[in-house]
Amino acid sequence: MSTHLQVSQGDRHRTPLMSVAGYAAMIVVVLVIAVPLFWILITSFKERQDIYVRPAQYWPSPATTDNYRDTVTSIPFPAYFRNSLIITALLAAAKITLGVLSAYALSLLRFPGRNLVFLVVIAALMVPNQITVISNYALIAQLGWRNTFQGIVIPLAGVAFGTFLMRNQFLSLPGEIIEAARLDGAGPMKLLWRVVMPMSWPTLVAFSLITVVNEWNEYLWPFLMSDNEKTAPLQVGLTLLQNNEGGNNWGPVMAGTVLTVLPILILFLFLQRQMIKGLTAGAVKS
Amino acid sequence: MNDLTRRGFLGLAGAAGVAAGLAACAGSGSSPTSSGAGGGGPIQFWSNHPGTSKDTETKIIEAFQKANPGFTVSLIDGGKNYEEVAQKFNAALAGGQLPDVIVASDVTWFNFALNKQLAPLDDLLAAAGLKTDDYVTALYNDYTFNGKHYALPFARSTPLFYYNKAMWSAAGLPDRGPATWAEFKEWAPKLAAAIGADKVPLQMADGSNYLDWYFQNMAWSMGGQMSKEWTATASDPKTVAAGTFLQDLAKNKWVKFSKSPDAEFSAGIAACALQSTGTLGGITKNAKFDFGTAFLPGDGACPTGGAGVAIPAGLSDERKKNAVKFIEYLTNVESTVTFTQATGYMPVRKSALDNEAEKAFLEKNPRAKVAVQQLAKTRSQDNARVLVPGGGARIGKALDQIVQGQDVATVFAALDKETQAAIDSQIKPKL
Repeated sequence: MSTHLQVSQGDRHRTPLMSVAGYAAMIVVVLVIAVPLFWILITSFKERQDIYVRPAQYWPSPATTDNYRDTVTSIPFPAYFRNSLIITALLAAAKITLGVLSAYALSLLRFPGRNLVFLVVIAALMVPNQITVISNYALIAQLGWRNTFQGIVIPLAGVAFGTFLMRNQFLSLPGEIIEAARLDGAGPMKLLWRVVMPMSWPTLVAFSLITVVNEWNEYLWPFLMSDNEKTAPLQVGLTLLQNNEGGNNWGPVMAGTVLTVLPILILFLFLQRQMIKGLTAGAVKS
Repeated sequence: MNDLTRRGFLGLAGAAGVAAGLAACAGSGSSPTSSGAGGGGPIQFWSNHPGTSKDTETKIIEAFQKANPGFTVSLIDGGKNYEEVAQKFNAALAGGQLPDVIVASDVTWFNFALNKQLAPLDDLLAAAGLKTDDYVTALYNDYTFNGKHYALPFARSTPLFYYNKAMWSAAGLPDRGPATWAEFKEWAPKLAAAIGADKVPLQMADGSNYLDWYFQNMAWSMGGQMSKEWTATASDPKTVAAGTFLQDLAKNKWVKFSKSPDAEFSAGIAACALQSTGTLGGITKNAKFDFGTAFLPGDGACPTGGAGVAIPAGLSDERKKNAVKFIEYLTNVESTVTFTQATGYMPVRKSALDNEAEKAFLEKNPRAKVAVQQLAKTRSQDNARVLVPGGGARIGKALDQIVQGQDVATVFAALDKETQAAIDSQIKPKL
């Protein structure tokens, strides 16, 4: 115990050299992440002739919002945006529900063949999406589901990753609490909602966030399934701004990128607060 | 793939078996003509809208529907580039619901034709009473295989020589492109001295961005070529000489390679660049200075490129008949003039040059005029690059090795061996 104390005190009074090194590392990391983002942002406000210049322009002058107008008007941007929202919402909801319920069953309910089922689910995690594309395509095309939202969502809704993550979270919960709840007469669903979930918020939020970001950026499958802006998400729509033989007009492409990133950024900021809340809620353990 | 272990192979084979099994479960046995009932359904046109041309394509389609009442065409986003259209088409081949017309590039069409997935057009065109002798010969013949044509030229481009006029006059050079690569080599030191060390005389694409396309011009102009019919000829002394020439330029720092040379050229960091005619519009808008366009060095040594439109083989005769009518319209004189003026691609019809609108356009756009005049000097590409699976990437990799200083003869000999092996194993059995 005493050694622990010393270590934590030593942490608090770090040598100036260590602090400097820490801050330097922090700055490097921030630069590595922020500079490309900064470049995307300023390019989206530049006039076309100012994008390829030497010396480079570090601040758009004159600044223009034409790129944003171009992006929104030259492709059916609102339609793509709506599709992205629908697809992401449906997929995230399906994946989170399936993930939590299956993980709960595989960790806290007892039934024969439980481990086998878990193994099969994990095996599914190992099969990359691209391999199943052709057979999924054949199935969906013959159901007549091309160009429909169910055609895009259902084949992607299987969720081995969530099951794996949430199962491990549930297994890490103290068995005494679960047992106590059972003794107090909590049924399986009550146990899940009242006992298990409140202790698992941080993991669930992290899982949700990863899922939402992944689905928002999904490209290959929605691209194969949709022929036009009736069902195609933003990621597919943005490619219409690019010219396949070079000579790209990068302004609108960057503006489109900024607009695509924004919703995720906002969601992230919001969920981050939830994550901290969850952390403190789980800390009332013993 | 060479160092695949036995276990890895078994795993892959298992996965493939599972995939095949699933595909079979999905019942891909249903007839591929399931969509679009008879002649009544709309013609599905899968396009990547080359040169951001969606609006132009829509315009041509409207004109087609007006001229042919009863026909409808639906324009479908096939992907962001030719490879994605090919990918989507591949999925459709496995899963049914074929499109009626697809955009197929100079490197993607052949594999489909080889596997009998594209319909030969000659009989279809003849049955519809449509003539093909007005197509620019080199462009039309690019799609020949076993004496039959598998696509009509649509969004066709060639490389073009772009030069920065201010830098040209600073170096005391005449206002034109070099007539031969030897002349460029004489000019290069003058250019290098005039523009300073932080700029480069010539900018080219690197090996993963179609250097192999541009290099054909260098090889041809020096009497070499990458292949003759189905024999790889990169180790031919003349081709090796061309490779050595490129290596010399690189050693002297007279050429630099990058992902998109139009960026360096537009930024004024390169005195000249080889780029597709398809980027002319982009460079015109991006560059802040006056620049000129010229023929590629070497007479008659300009490769063609870009994409055509093709019809899947698995369609009903009725649908094929409708589709051929549409692609002929899509590439007729009026359509090709409209399309190429909007995008910077090349008119695919000889008589387009007699069209009044085209004449007026070229009068106003002398740079585009150079590109169009160069069409008469084009030559169909070497099989080793466009028809052999993975050909472009394979040659590009070899060229990357050369410019990094590896021995040209050795690299090209190895390249020939690989190319020939691919031809013998993947193409010859199907010829």
